[in-house]
Amino acid sequence: MKMRTLAIILCAVLMIQTRLSAQQVDSLSLYDLNAVSVKKRGIGTTRVAGAENATRINREELFRAACCNLGESFTTNPSVDVNYSDAATGAKQIRLLGLSGRYVQMLAENLPDFRGAAAPYALDYVPGPWLQSIQVSKGAASVKNGYESITGQIDVEYLKPDGDEGLELNLYGNTLSRVETNAVGNLHINQKLSTELLAHWQDDYGHHDINRDGFLDQPNVRQLHLQNRWKLRTDRYIFHGGVSLLDEQRDGGQTSHTVRGSHSNLYKIGIETARYEAYMKHAFILDPDHGTNIALMGTGSLHEVDAAYGNKAYTARERNGYAQLMLESNLTDLHNLSAGLSLNHDYFTRDEKETVGGAYAQYTYNLRNKVVAMAGLRADHSSMHGTFVTPRLHLKLVPNQTLSLRLSAGKGYRTVHALAENHYLLMSGRQLQIEPLHQESAWNYGLSTSVYVPLFGKTLRINAEYYHTRFSHQAIIDYDSDPTLISIANLHGRSYSNTLQVDATYPVVRGLDLTAAWRLNEVMTTYGGRLMRQPLTSRYKGLVSISYKTPLELWQFDLTMQLNGGGRMPTPINNEWSSSFHAYEQLSAQITRWFRHFSVYIGGENLTAVRQRHPIINASDPWSPAFEPTMVWGPTHGAMAYAGVRVNLWNKH
Amino acid sequence: MKKILLFTLLLAATSAIAKDIKTAVLTLQPQMHCAGCENKVKNNLRFVKGIKTIEASAAKQCVVVTYDAEKTSVQKLIQSLKKDGYTAKEVKADKK
Repeated sequence: MKMRTLAIILCAVLMIQTRLSAQQVDSLSLYDLNAVSVKKRGIGTTRVAGAENATRINREELFRAACCNLGESFTTNPSVDVNYSDAATGAKQIRLLGLSGRYVQMLAENLPDFRGAAAPYALDYVPGPWLQSIQVSKGAASVKNGYESITGQIDVEYLKPDGDEGLELNLYGNTLSRVETNAVGNLHINQKLSTELLAHWQDDYGHHDINRDGFLDQPNVRQLHLQNRWKLRTDRYIFHGGVSLLDEQRDGGQTSHTVRGSHSNLYKIGIETARYEAYMKHAFILDPDHGTNIALMGTGSLHEVDAAYGNKAYTARERNGYAQLMLESNLTDLHNLSAGLSLNHDYFTRDEKETVGGAYAQYTYNLRNKVVAMAGLRADHSSMHGTFVTPRLHLKLVPNQTLSLRLSAGKGYRTVHALAENHYLLMSGRQLQIEPLHQESAWNYGLSTSVYVPLFGKTLRINAEYYHTRFSHQAIIDYDSDPTLISIANLHGRSYSNTLQVDATYPVVRGLDLTAAWRLNEVMTTYGGRLMRQPLTSRYKGLVSISYKTPLELWQFDLTMQLNGGGRMPTPINNEWSSSFHAYEQLSAQITRWFRHFSVYIGGENLTAVRQRHPIINASDPWSPAFEPTMVWGPTHGAMAYAGVRVNLWNKH
Repeated sequence: MKKILLFTLLLAATSAIAKDIKTAVLTLQPQMHCAGCENKVKNNLRFVKGIKTIEASAAKQCVVVTYDAEKTSVQKLIQSLKKDGYTAKEVKADKK
């Protein structure tokens, strides 16, 4: 009787499935649909054409997570790591090819940005809902944008003024007491001229102290960020320009909510930031048939920081001006030439300022995208460091439809503004010692390959890459030579990084994409005459990411699991911490439901509630020399849930 | 209990069989000229009740939609596209 019932149930289920499938097949067979392209789900991450090893993270990929800001936009990316610099200010840093984000050139709309005094909190200054895409280039990048990319380049592209007209709002809140609102509005004034207003407001108001060490787990941050962008386009001229205003108050440390007993002499952290920016880009199209154009681009910024860390204070007023003149032309179908001039000026104080003027030329040979060779050379003269030359070479080979190879080699340089870029180190009870620093320089070499394997009617994409970075000159943040102080000093010895990464992506079934990646990091630096692993750097990283969209893309389910390997801890003063940290996982998930004029999303981060239990050393006595809040290797907060809604008003798609 | 379960399953099967799934092929004016237009059309139609699948091609200038005829109709699809500025016409497809 039981078997008969089971058989009938199974038959019923099969009947349902078969009938539905048959309906679809019967209907489609009535028509000549061979010529109609089957709509696959949009690809969130695409490879950029050209010789550089670059991928573009598109808006679809950014929607897979809450992506409140740039720092949270790499959750599903296997190549970029994001970690907190310390346990009290919320300063984040990225890592690319195992090395600090200092060696990644940050661009906004292809113009250098987020440098100098803006660097410590730059990832929080770019709201995720404002972004159209993020381009991540690995290895030494093109010479067009300067000499500062050593491990790579990250270029953020904002939503464009001439995009779909309308207004989009994003409201977000999470269980760590954060609320934020974003608005992006486009207006097409006429067929040629359009403008855009972007607004961001956030308030982190909680007083969470999950480990009861008396310190806020996350700082209270109130930020207002406004941008107005314009675009004018005619047949022979394109103008793109805008202004930006950012105001932020960041408070952390001990509060009357987190400290029991006496509230006198609390260790408080307060950072006030104001940033004003303007940019312009003019492009004059001289010969459309050959893509010949001349472009003049410029940015200017004023970044003001007033920071207080207990009884230590730091103030910076950085002024920056940058201009670039560029000429580019496709001489023939095979040959492209680009040449230009640039001028950059950074001013901190009368004693800390730098002017760099430079010129570059870049030649590209492109044989029907089967062989692409790009060679660039630039020469710059710095008022601080003299004249230096930057060579870069990229080669791409595509022998067939299933395989492509990329090689790159190049040198990069960077001027160090030690305190401006690392003022969070003032929190440490240890003495901070900074010696006169040379310009950093390094060679980077890379080999990457992409293979497209036909598998069960779909394509398995496999990428494998190896990068080696070798420093000639480097500013080392040294915790090890003398544990009683933190020194920022010039490298004496060897410093290098080897990274090996393999990642694969496969559309398992329609609407379901699976990505898996594994990366090994070997990052070695000489501290006090000893070649050692760089501290607070994971030895490996694994990532598995699953994304599923229902056939009409009304529902989207995303799940990402990261495994971050253990690593070395800096030398303790008196065995306050272990010599190494262990591996830890990070699990995040999100469900999105799309409606005609809005979408709602709900998700969670760090769902396994992994956290570094005591990231602040000697928290009970923050005024002692043993107080140390920068020994952060993992998450400082537990599991977090969030929810939000994106609303499209006035026809914006 | 078993009989109730069996009845429910058979009812579901019957309901599935009874769905009137139809296919419509539409052409649009103005024409689609890029993937952005394809996405725009798809974004318009996917929220119409009863839609099952949408395939849009700028290369072939047609949109193929399968839908539940009990919940929607070709006229409703045409009206929905009209809101986005498209004038849609159903074409009779050639049988194989």
